[in-house]
Amino acid sequence: MVMNIKEKLQILADSAKYDASCSSSGSRRKNNNGIGNAAYAGICHSFSADGRCISLLKILMTNCCIFDCKYCLNRKSNNIKRAIFTPEEICYITLNFYKRNYIEGLFLSSGIIKSPDYTMELMIKTITLLRQKYHFGGYIHAKAIPGASEILLKKLGSLVDRLSANIELPTESGLKLLAPNKETNKVDKIMGYIKENRNNNFVPAGQSTQMIIGATNETDLDIMNKSENLYNRFNLKRVFYSAYVPVNTDKLLPALATPPLKRENRLYQADWLLRYYGFKTKDILNEENPNFNLLVDPKANWAINHLDEFPKEVNSCSYPELLKIPGIGVKSAKEIIKSRKYFQLTFKDLKKMGVVLKRAQYFITCGGKYNLNKEFFKKDFILSNLVIEEATTPMSNKQQLSLFS
Amino acid sequence: MNNIYIYDGSFSNLLNLISYLLENKIKPFNIKITTYNPSLFEQIINIKLKKNFINEDIFQNHHLLKTIYYVYLSDNENKEITIYYFLLNYFKFGNKVFYLKNLKCVDKTLKIAHLVSHEAHRFKGFTRFKELKNKVLYATIAPDNNILPIISKHFQKRLKNELWIIKDENRNIISLYDKKKYYIVSCDQFKLLDTTLSENEINLEILWKTFFKTVAIKERENKRCQMNFMPKKYWQNIIEMSD
Ligand code: SF4
Repeated sequence: MVMNIKEKLQILADSAKYDASCSSSGSRRKNNNGIGNAAYAGICHSFSADGRCISLLKILMTNCCIFDCKYCLNRKSNNIKRAIFTPEEICYITLNFYKRNYIEGLFLSSGIIKSPDYTMELMIKTITLLRQKYHFGGYIHAKAIPGASEILLKKLGSLVDRLSANIELPTESGLKLLAPNKETNKVDKIMGYIKENRNNNFVPAGQSTQMIIGATNETDLDIMNKSENLYNRFNLKRVFYSAYVPVNTDKLLPALATPPLKRENRLYQADWLLRYYGFKTKDILNEENPNFNLLVDPKANWAINHLDEFPKEVNSCSYPELLKIPGIGVKSAKEIIKSRKYFQLTFKDLKKMGVVLKRAQYFITCGGKYNLNKEFFKKDFILSNLVIEEATTPMSNKQQLSLFS
Repeated sequence: MNNIYIYDGSFSNLLNLISYLLENKIKPFNIKITTYNPSLFEQIINIKLKKNFINEDIFQNHHLLKTIYYVYLSDNENKEITIYYFLLNYFKFGNKVFYLKNLKCVDKTLKIAHLVSHEAHRFKGFTRFKELKNKVLYATIAPDNNILPIISKHFQKRLKNELWIIKDENRNIISLYDKKKYYIVSCDQFKLLDTTLSENEINLEILWKTFFKTVAIKERENKRCQMNFMPKKYWQNIIEMSD
């Protein structure tokens, strides 16, 4: 019996959902007298029951795969229903969803069918149809298939907004263990090629990648070192972290009761510190403390361990110093710099600028005033208060930080 | 007696009235739309302005214009007088007014403008069209603020070659797009006669709901987080949430 389109969608969305990338930002593609354009800031169209943003129609071309990565639902040794979309079917769903404003565009990945080249050709065929036959100008994020030839990479990159390859596991040993068919140098090659050739007509929204967290025994330090290295070498826009969800049982895989969401959250926070706050991995983790403190966030943890540098006077300290104060974000820091030229800031003003005083108050003075009794400027006191503060703020508020791109 | 100055509800006339008041150093108690019901201690002042008092400066300054326009679109009860005080300070301090959050009216203006901008951004995502039998795409929204003009501009670019209609239930207004321009009119002026859905519509909605349910990872379920991002007050028009 031929599978209907709904059944295919169910199978091929189900097997694509573990990819954490959700972003539809970074592109200014215009509507070329057809349907659709990109919004530079990205747009979330819905939120699924797990609180993740739905922006793109995230599907696989096929969940057939010649490989057998241990952590993956689609691995060839799994006895599951297999499906493959035709290019026209994908166009049909994308265009109809887009027209109704369900989605911002398409995220197309795939299991490897026959060969990497064959798979990429199928994807290219689909996206060519969308762009050229249907004049679709919405956002497209495609996953490059490691091992496919450079010509195909070039072609795919000229059709999409974002092209990326997943690193999946932060260390070579992890890959050897769980994804014996994958080699880091193949992913490196793709990333290098995209970096070298990126321009307004080739992958305008840049590349991203993802790492699975908790399937192997890497430390947070291993992971952050890898991220730092990727940002430096390939100008990645984002590294996504995906808490491992056990979909297979295998003696090589950990038996986790729940996905390590807290850890994932810490990694996102640290990732932001690297990209926007002027931190280096070595500032927040080291060989003695290779894992994040699960009780307080990495920035607060850093500040508590560098109390001798605090309190900072917000009316005079530098921009990089402002950024290192817990409770002060990039936007607030910029506003503080501008505003304090015109008047002296009080605690009340800081609140208006989006500073989270509950966290910042331990580390700042405002016009020489400390908000609390000076006697409380002690490591133990601050630490316990921040731990309580974190524990009593619902997870849903904190995720805001990690989910927005 | 407290003086209430009234205007016809349009943005340009509001700007003109405020400009006139500022130029003549008149301090209104409040500024309201013509239909306003004054209290016992209030007196309505209706001045018919025959000439343009708006300072060219305002039109040159995109950031300023956008800020006060967004406040004008908000559902804030005192939006007009808020704009008055903001402009008063703008003419005093120039562009640095945007950083003077120690002034109450500045803080308030920027907060309201941000709220409107945020809601408009949400509706660029949350608006759901249904295809009617005559191929027109039809959406109903119920936002807190009058964001219809903002999102109309967005959909004009995005769905350039489609015919679409967006109805704001809360304000009883409708935006009509004819593949060239959009027109925002009152629902009394435009009645949609036939809202029969296209044949395929139900199937596509089912397809979308299937996708929506499938992508949630059950081990990560977090309904509270979902609700934070997509507040319940909007659910009635978001088809994947409405049943
Ligand atoms: S190659 Fe990709 S789809 Fe295939 S088993 Fe590995 S992770 Fe899964």
